[in-house]
Amino acid sequence: MSEFVEECRREWKRLRVPDLIANEMAADLAADLREAEAEGASAEEVLGSGAFDPRSFAASWAVERGVVPPPLTDQPPRRSLIHPAIAALTVIAAIGAALAFFPSRHDSVSSPQFVPRLKPMPPAFAVPGNGSGVDVHAVGLILLIVGIVGIFLSMLILFWSSRAGPDHWTRRRTYVDHASGGPGYS
Amino acid sequence: MAAGERRRSQLLRGVLDLCLLAVVAEEPAYGYEMTKRLRARGLSIVGEGSIYPLLGRLERDGLVETHRAASDGGPPRKYYRTSRQGRRELAAGVSEWQAARDAVDAVLGLAEAEVEA
Repeated sequence: MSEFVEECRREWKRLRVPDLIANEMAADLAADLREAEAEGASAEEVLGSGAFDPRSFAASWAVERGVVPPPLTDQPPRRSLIHPAIAALTVIAAIGAALAFFPSRHDSVSSPQFVPRLKPMPPAFAVPGNGSGVDVHAVGLILLIVGIVGIFLSMLILFWSSRAGPDHWTRRRTYVDHASGGPGYS
Repeated sequence: MAAGERRRSQLLRGVLDLCLLAVVAEEPAYGYEMTKRLRARGLSIVGEGSIYPLLGRLERDGLVETHRAASDGGPPRKYYRTSRQGRRELAAGVSEWQAARDAVDAVLGLAEAEVEA
């Protein structure tokens, strides 16, 4: 049972519960557990379902007592924005592809229509030699590259966040918030 | 968890704070002592949440007062007793519980009569 108290102490230390309060809670808990043990009672009879999860028990006690703030809901930051971002980047890439690969009114008939221009590109907004204004192919190619790179990075972040789990982003340990009475009570 | 256990657990969740206020309104008690008093009246917390976080909340909300005193042959313990505010909360809670219980009894009483008929 002392191992249980030590686990609680570690959790309180991690949560930065003031030493004075942590010591007091640990002493009360240890005394209760000792008395229960002497009477032949199990830890579960003293701690309820909290007996199986000392860290969660310790955290909920500290939160309910008001000595540490309640934990934030762990959500990967801006994860909900990743899917809309991928959609937007896909649209950008599609527009870029359309501009880069489809012939414009100024293209000659002999221009390759579905092959990207691999020859050195002029700056995006430079006036090309034919005097037609902005080179839409260059703009399209830039949009396409931006879109593809963006999609790739978004997918990478999505993959990373799903592998790392929710704790990864916040570096905080979650515990089930049993608001009114600790584990098992809500 | 079986349906019966789940129902019992949910019922207990709603009133355990009142039960704790009630047992320390009779006489101050420390944590484990409260558990024993509850158990002596047929209310076991085995399989349920711990009373300690709940006591922490009652203390934070000013519904109980605490003091340290020597226990029988053991180390000094933290004793809880119902504060004035806690007694008001207990009285209100008991009224709510009785009203809810009467309403449920009225419904379940009818169901029982139908089953018997």
